[in-house]
Amino acid sequence: MENLNYSTLVRDRFERPPNAGRLLGDVIRGAAGEKSHGTRVEFDLRLRDGRVERARFRAYGCPHAIAAASWVAEQAEGRSLESDEWLDPLRLAEVLELPEYKLGVLLVVEDAFRDATSQACGS
Amino acid sequence: MPTMKPIYMDYAATTPVDDRVARVMCECMTRDGVFANPASSSHQPGRDARGRVETARRQVAGLLNASPTEIVWTSGATESDNLALKGVAHRHAARGRHIVTSRTEHKAVLDSCRQLENEGFEVSYLVPGTDGVITAERVAEAMREDTLLVSIMHVNNEIGIASDIADIGRLCHERKVLFHVDAAQSAGKLPLDVDAMGVDLMSVSAHKVYGPKGIGALYIRDQLGNRLEPLIHGGGHEWGMRSGTLATHQVVGMGEAFAIAGQEMEEEARRLAGLRRRLWDGIRGLGGVWLNGCPERRAAGILNVSFEGVEGESLLFALRELAVSSGSACTSASRESSYVLRALGRDDQLAQSSIRFSLGRYSTGEDVDRCVEIVTREVNRLRSLAPPAGGESARDQAI
Repeated sequence: MENLNYSTLVRDRFERPPNAGRLLGDVIRGAAGEKSHGTRVEFDLRLRDGRVERARFRAYGCPHAIAAASWVAEQAEGRSLESDEWLDPLRLAEVLELPEYKLGVLLVVEDAFRDATSQACGS
Repeated sequence: MPTMKPIYMDYAATTPVDDRVARVMCECMTRDGVFANPASSSHQPGRDARGRVETARRQVAGLLNASPTEIVWTSGATESDNLALKGVAHRHAARGRHIVTSRTEHKAVLDSCRQLENEGFEVSYLVPGTDGVITAERVAEAMREDTLLVSIMHVNNEIGIASDIADIGRLCHERKVLFHVDAAQSAGKLPLDVDAMGVDLMSVSAHKVYGPKGIGALYIRDQLGNRLEPLIHGGGHEWGMRSGTLATHQVVGMGEAFAIAGQEMEEEARRLAGLRRRLWDGIRGLGGVWLNGCPERRAAGILNVSFEGVEGESLLFALRELAVSSGSACTSASRESSYVLRALGRDDQLAQSSIRFSLGRYSTGEDVDRCVEIVTREVNRLRSLAPPAGGESARDQAI
């Protein structure tokens, strides 16, 4: 069961993610990954004055993927689209206490979020 | 956070020692008991220990319809598989250097074959049919003039499907090829008869049959005599094929476990088939659930199921109120899908989201009902978190 020893944060986010689901109305959406490869993440962002007002996620993947997507959606709220230095997979790996071989999962989460924000920048 | 002890549904991985087995084992350990070395024939305590060992040998032979002199004690099915494959290959290489096995064998067989390949042997690895079964036809196609040995497991440990052992045995007999069967998953669950099945070597283990871990046996047909090259050299125990002082308590534990299994197998198989049906009827109600393996050829107790729309590692963690096995190596870095499930035609997602429920002697209807409740709750929850297959989420949350 060594592989099932998740950190408290991962367990909490996996069991009770407060921000899973989707946003309706005027939102931007981003996605990355494939279910057949084990991870698929989607974000919905509602923007106001260049900042993320609300963020929601949907995730198919391991507990780390679900926890990371939830954490990123939460951290994004209130932040300007201009600043994205907070979205650092290595920092996220530390926060979630991820094993090294799971870093690829965080890259999918990052790609999904950047896919969403790139649509805002392009619009 | 679950705090209760998980419901044990992993009997195909191992079983607890039956109280009746533990009792006879305890009789062979302390100074008041039968603790002497069974090889010490010069005194009565040694002869008493030998007596207990030989009773156990008869009990194990009885379950396989073999003669006691055809049973060699080992440390478990892994050693039995190693002894069978390497023992035959090393001693009989002059007869041929080709082995036929399947890709879905236990690692003990596959890794032994890899080692023999390193030594210059050639191995054909069969692919099972879409029902998970290895047939005599597939074996016949792979056989060559120089085929020395065929090694096929009886019941697959992952999906619980039984292959055509008697048909393969007949084929091997006709072609004068030796036939080894790993019966670790079927001993005590399905009737075994080494003669009717045409088997020359059969690996069995105690801990899958409510006996102790660390003890197993290899059936070696009489005609093969002492003609297996041993893996372990020493005092010449077990007709020179497996040296080392016999662990009397382990041996008598295996004997008792096999004797009990023989007496209770028929009724227990009926009971487990009923529980397994109850489990499947409960789980299938979720929708998007796939039964892995042909339903008619299944060993009682094993139910392998794939869930659409949920990822394997998350599923296993979500189901931690249950002690079950994942059907794939999805929790490892490799994210390798089960070969068995891929052979059944399952795609990556379904192969990675399979769970093996294996029921056993202490499983109850209450356990099964609770299991259905937990699986239903958690699969629905994980599906609600996941992106939809067709682009729209199943869970709308308007803010």
